[in-house]
Amino acid sequence: MTNDDALPLDDALWQRLLELTDGDAALCFQCGECTAACPWGLVRKDGLPVRTLLRKAQLGIGQIDRELWLCTTCGQCQVTCPRGVDIPGVFRALRQIAWEQRRVEKGLPSMLWSIHWNSNPWSQPPSQRCAWADGLDLAPFDPHKHEILLYIGCTSSYDRRARKIALALVFVLKKSGVAFGYLGNDEPCCGEAALSTGQLPFFKEVAAHTTNVFKEKGVTRMMTLSPHCYDVFKNHYPDQNPGFEPLHYTQFLAELVEQGRLAFDKPLHLKVTFQEPCYLGRLNGEYEAPRRVLAAIPGVAIKEMKDSHQDGLCCGGGGGRMWLETPAGERFSDLRVQQAVETGASHLLTACPFCLACLEDGAASLKSPGLSVLDVAELAAAALKGENA
Amino acid sequence: MTEPRIVVCMKVVPKPEEIHVNPQTHLLERANVRTEINPPDMNAIEMALSLQNQYGGMVEILSMGPPSFEHDLRVGLMMGAEHVYLLSDRAFGGADTLATTYTLAQGIHKLGDVDVIMLGEESSDGATGQVPQGLAEWLDLPQLTLLTDLELDIQARRARGKRVLKGGYERLEVPLPCVVSVKTACNEPRFMDFRLKAWAADPARLTVWSAQDLNTDPDCTGLAGSPTTVTGLAAAALRERKKIQINGTHEEIAARLAELVRGLQ
Amino acid sequence: MTASLYSPAAARKEIWVYLEQEEGALLHISLELLSKGRELADANGWRLVGLLLGAKVAHLVDQAFAHGADAVVLGEHSLLRHFTIDAYAQAAFQALMSGKPGVFLLGATHNGRDLAARLAVRLRTGLNADCTNLHLEPPEGLLISEVSGFGGGVLALIGMPQHRPQMATVRAGVFNVSEETPGRKGEVLTFPVVLDESKLRTRILERNVAEGVDISQTPLLVAAGRGMGTDLAELRQLASRLGGELGVTRPLVDMGLVERERQVGQTGVVCSPKLALCCGISGAFHFVVGIEKAGTVIAINTDPDAAIFESADYCVVADARLIIFELNKALAAVGEAEHD
Repeated sequence: MTNDDALPLDDALWQRLLELTDGDAALCFQCGECTAACPWGLVRKDGLPVRTLLRKAQLGIGQIDRELWLCTTCGQCQVTCPRGVDIPGVFRALRQIAWEQRRVEKGLPSMLWSIHWNSNPWSQPPSQRCAWADGLDLAPFDPHKHEILLYIGCTSSYDRRARKIALALVFVLKKSGVAFGYLGNDEPCCGEAALSTGQLPFFKEVAAHTTNVFKEKGVTRMMTLSPHCYDVFKNHYPDQNPGFEPLHYTQFLAELVEQGRLAFDKPLHLKVTFQEPCYLGRLNGEYEAPRRVLAAIPGVAIKEMKDSHQDGLCCGGGGGRMWLETPAGERFSDLRVQQAVETGASHLLTACPFCLACLEDGAASLKSPGLSVLDVAELAAAALKGENA
Repeated sequence: MTEPRIVVCMKVVPKPEEIHVNPQTHLLERANVRTEINPPDMNAIEMALSLQNQYGGMVEILSMGPPSFEHDLRVGLMMGAEHVYLLSDRAFGGADTLATTYTLAQGIHKLGDVDVIMLGEESSDGATGQVPQGLAEWLDLPQLTLLTDLELDIQARRARGKRVLKGGYERLEVPLPCVVSVKTACNEPRFMDFRLKAWAADPARLTVWSAQDLNTDPDCTGLAGSPTTVTGLAAAALRERKKIQINGTHEEIAARLAELVRGLQ
Repeated sequence: MTASLYSPAAARKEIWVYLEQEEGALLHISLELLSKGRELADANGWRLVGLLLGAKVAHLVDQAFAHGADAVVLGEHSLLRHFTIDAYAQAAFQALMSGKPGVFLLGATHNGRDLAARLAVRLRTGLNADCTNLHLEPPEGLLISEVSGFGGGVLALIGMPQHRPQMATVRAGVFNVSEETPGRKGEVLTFPVVLDESKLRTRILERNVAEGVDISQTPLLVAAGRGMGTDLAELRQLASRLGGELGVTRPLVDMGLVERERQVGQTGVVCSPKLALCCGISGAFHFVVGIEKAGTVIAINTDPDAAIFESADYCVVADARLIIFELNKALAAVGEAEHD
């Protein structure tokens, strides 16, 4: 007696998955903690069946569903997994296989083509990459003159809102007397969007190109605006110059504070709360640097949200989701701004252009306005200028 | 024919926003301008590859241009095309659409039996939108233009397509072989398949044909074969918008807008 | 140099205008081209002739004369009832080889462009597409066309001194229609259309044009983006009140709120209204391309940094829904006052 509708198993697929995940995919023993931890369970009736997808992968079932693309790679599942399976890594591997089968979400091929033709995932003209810096007179990076490279990233270069983070940070760095340069229109894309959507071979090409640019320009110490760029440079870029040291800008600012180079004398009396970006906090263990910078501003009081530090709730933008539509009512950011409101803070601070966009969207749809969303750099700049934030 | 042979004509173009007219020489500044495959041609090759997925057969690329086109054209091989034929010769330079379509037609003749010839509806540089029809005319083939989808009836040797019209569409049928122009943005071009990297880099997958290889009539190619000549070139005047802010209460703003609207009617 | 089938010496001092018709009515572009053609003909002492093809379309000649044509070359055939490139190219070619005009102008419609492109090769002559202006220079009557390229950044003047007919296509809305002279008379030159039916290879399986919406010609565009929410009733009312059309950005079409024919932008409709009112639209590049040619742009958006404000003459930072509500009230009040 056979069941003709039974899903076929593909051993070759399982083998591939084992290779792609360095054997990690085999570790799962199906406890289901991942599904329980996944924030999709907070917004969707059936959540995201992480465990089931892992099981399907183990059995080599090729027909992976659209739910594969819901994952924001926030890593909440990974920290909960008793076997420490790199679940986001498994999802990326499944996505790579999905690309080979051409079963991907609409809009993602166009995003990757944009990285290929325009060196950014936003379909913006490459010749306009440093238009945001018009009039700022920023220096082209010179390793002999500059202590650090300021790496802007595609989103902060082109997105009208995120550009303000770049402008604010430039102000703070200049005020602190930091000798820094940037790469202007030659700044290459970090390729993170390709990596997290599972286009691993393309990511490797982008990474190889960007690595060459960094080597040629003599880049060692560098800071990024986005934790996504930071994560990818730190963890997924092999073969760099000796001394290659990527930092997230909040880490650099925290250093400046410690060294006394960045000091805030004008107080800003604000009650704020902080959204740690998944790619800075949970995935790279950096919770303190942004908080140290905020704490250095006299008058700023930080009240933590319900889910903070390692339990931080994802804004919903990672894993390629900035290029996909999330229907209203299913957005993590709506829940997050609610948590922010519950702290009584007037300002929700973050340190990532994706979090900034998602949370501002969330704050805009709140019934009672009065929650401002800012990046740490913006608050720092306002404090230095003695302005109200 | 049991499996179709589809040729996609592709053009490598400069990124339009990077092209400027030199105010002194009145010539186009082309140095250091980034290039890309003409975006509508990406829609054409996607449609061709979809047909291949459905009906089998093969997709080849035909292009007219300098040797530097090779780098971008190989992207088509990474998407799944079989071969690139590049028509390249000094004699082909400076061609307008009459000379271009003549030259492409000679390329098609040399390729032999082809079932469908596909092109994007227009190119982002010249944007004449005349090449598909002109090519069909030289080849004396039927055409289906501005298609958002295409079906092949291999047995009956026919093609059916949905053609965009102002305010609607029509469905047309023509016999094969035929020339097809594809509506810009009618599909999402598949991304490159990196398992095809070695395939795409294989020197044997590129064939360059010169004027001699094609046996073209020198009076019909390049500048010599172009009836049209450019008598003047200028940077287009950028339209400056006034950007006047209107402030006030909602009622005050509405009143001001009402004034503006009535004034403009 | 490859020669055109007839030389400049053999060409008549005539400007021919393709009178595109649909369902027994002349398209507006045909009238625009007659107006421009009249101007060029007068400046050079040339004749203006309309080329009219179809089945049972003879009644349209009067409209052509009223708009300036001195003559209409008329070719009727049952197989010309609906446009097919095969039949129309044959008929037009026949007429052109007989009449040998110095200039042949067509509207840059979907069918007009196809016809022009195939004829240009058949005649071995040049063709300038989507011209934004035309000049006919005495004494030889050289046609100089103004065209834009590279996404509109570059303007070129193009001529074809040794080829005839000098062909050009022009988009609707570029030239104005001048006042007609009703009752003006002209010559009707009927010719027997001979079609090689073995070359009629296109079969029309289905046509679906009648119910279509066309916003490209509207003088007043009221455009909605995501900032307008999902209830477009007030905006539709405004459009209707002002004799304009509703246009939208892509997300609203994707949500199923409005038909695709109303999508404004690079992959939608490019409009050239006198006034474009953009409500709750962020102003991404691909949308702006659709309203660039508008005479005046008013933009309303809650985000003071919205890109749309870079492309607007009047900028309002506010909730578009509330402004439109008030605007409807204000216009209604004025309307009432005028009726009193």
